Parts: sequence; C-alpha cells; structure tokens
Amino acid sequence: MMTVTLFSIGLTVGAYALSRVLARRFPSPLTTPVFFSTTVIILALVTSGVQLAEYEPAKRIMVSLLGPATVGLAVPLYKNRLTLLRHTAPAVLGLAVGSLATLGAAVLLATVFGLPDIIRASMSVKSVTAPIAIELAPIVHGSPALTAAFVIATGMIGAMLGPWLMTRTGIHDPLSRGLALGTISHGQGTAQAVAEGELQGAAAGIAMGLAAVFTSFVAPFLAPFLG
Amino acid sequence: MKTALLIVAQIAMLLLLNQAGYAVVTALHLPVPGNLLGMLLLLALLASGLLPLRSVEAGASLLIRHLAFFFVPITVGLMGFADLFLANGLAILFTLVVSAVVGICVAGLSAQRLAARKEGGAR
Repeated sequence: MMTVTLFSIGLTVGAYALSRVLARRFPSPLTTPVFFSTTVIILALVTSGVQLAEYEPAKRIMVSLLGPATVGLAVPLYKNRLTLLRHTAPAVLGLAVGSLATLGAAVLLATVFGLPDIIRASMSVKSVTAPIAIELAPIVHGSPALTAAFVIATGMIGAMLGPWLMTRTGIHDPLSRGLALGTISHGQGTAQAVAEGELQGAAAGIAMGLAAVFTSFVAPFLAPFLG
Repeated sequence: MKTALLIVAQIAMLLLLNQAGYAVVTALHLPVPGNLLGMLLLLALLASGLLPLRSVEAGASLLIRHLAFFFVPITVGLMGFADLFLANGLAILFTLVVSAVVGICVAGLSAQRLAARKEGGAR
C-alpha cells in the first residue's frame, strides 16, 4: 500500500517535472503539463497494473495544497482591482452573460446529443478555473475528473481559437477581448490575453476570478436540472 | 533559507484561510465551494488593508505558478471514464468547441457594446 503510494507520487512529480522541461523546449498543445503528465501517468499505471483506487491515497496527499493555491488567486485579483473599478459595468455584464451563454450552450448541446447526465453535469461548469470547477462538480452532480478534463480542454480551445474568432467578429476593444478570454478560458485564456497586452491581461485575470464567483453562486440553482 | 521559510509561512497562512472558508461553508450550509470563500476572504483582507500584499504574495505566486501540477492527479481519474469517452468523443468535442465559441462572442460583444456606449455618453 505504502509502496504504491510512494511510486504514484514519484511518478506524478516526475511526469510533471518532465512536462515542464518539454513544454519549454517544444511548446505545443501535446506538451502542456496536464495533458502530457496525465497521459504518461495513465500509461504507466496501466502497464504496471496499478488500479485507480490504489492511486487514490497518493492523489489525496498531492492535492492537499490545491485549496491554498485557490485562495492565492485573490492576489492577482487584488492587483488588477483598478482595471475592474475603472470598467465595472462592461466587465461585470460581459463576464456574467458570457458565463451564462457558454453554460447554456454546453448544457443544451449535451442534451441534444443525448450525452450521459454525468457528462452534461460535469460540462456545465467547464469555463470556471479548474480548482473551483473541481469543487463545483459534485454540487452539480458531476465528476471532478471529467470536469477537470473539460476545463482544461476548454482552456486550450479558447486560447487557440479565441483571438482569431474575436478579430473575425469585430471584437477589437482590448478590455472586451481580455474579458472574453478570461471568462471562457480561465487560466489558459488569461495567459493568452497577457500576451496580447497589459489591459487585456488585467481584464482576463479579473474575468477569470469573478466568473468563478458568479458561476459558483449560479450553479447550485442548476443542480436539480442536471443530475 | 530565509525565503524558503517565508514561503512556507505564507502557504500556511493560505491554508488557514482555506480552512476558514470550508468552516464557514459547513457552518452556514452554503452551497458554494469552501476554497472560493477562502479566496473572497483573502481578497477582503487585502482590500481592507488588514493584510499587506507582501505577507502572502511570494507563497501565492509559487502555488499559482504550479497550479497545473494539482490538476494532474485529478485528471488521472479519467482512467475510469475511458468507455464514456470512446462512445461520445465526437459529440463531446463538438459541444466543447461550440459552447466556447458562443461564450467568447457573447462575453466580448456585450462588453464591447457597453464600453462603447459609456464612452459615447461621456463625450
């Protein structure tokens, strides 16, 4: 039991460290830390015959610092407070309707395609930054693992398509561009927005934090319709 | 050495705020995540000036820089959902892409419209 846990922790830390090096050398969606590390770990667990349940204790130890990391997200939010105060109305409106629109579209499409309830519920909170989305998942009757995967996929999709899409649809206002990226693609969208400019980055950081707050307060009301 | 100790102390402080968030959620039966409340609590402490930014900044930055690490053990849980993905892969991908596109357009366009109106009114 103990050995499997130590093996699992070593494997996870090792895969993550390797992915950081690879991502710097060969930047690509395939070398992003979560995608690369998860793939390596699952392959290693399957080949060494370790069951998911045996990996669980190691997981619990490793995620113990996720809570404090989430609390730490208040720091970038606080640093960007002046941008928020200067543009309160468009920022709050944009992130609120954007959050509702993406949530509504996801739930609607999942229903149309007849996707299983657990997938639909896990998808509903996919635009929320991962540490909070994982906590929201059980509240809306979803699975944290599925939600984490959808959150990360959504981050990649928005960061890759977002800038091009907004240029095509005539969204040129820097605040609005950052806001949209942060609302939909949370951390990965914010990284993309920072690359576009300072105001974009600040707007994205605010949108990521506040969209998580907004969706957290809306999600419990949706739960009865998702489970 | 001194920096390392400082970072450990700051992370301990963040941990404490996180626990406080969960304690409040449990006590009041709130349907929101405890870590979210912890984040709002820290934001309130920073905004009110009760806690200076430098007392948590180094620890928070370190954890945020490696935020992706914490998702890895969680996404490993996908192992249990292989069949679901194989059966619904295309519909899942389509739903993810379309809902992201809709969300980005709605958020961006509505913010831009309101920002433009406000500027127009000020002139």
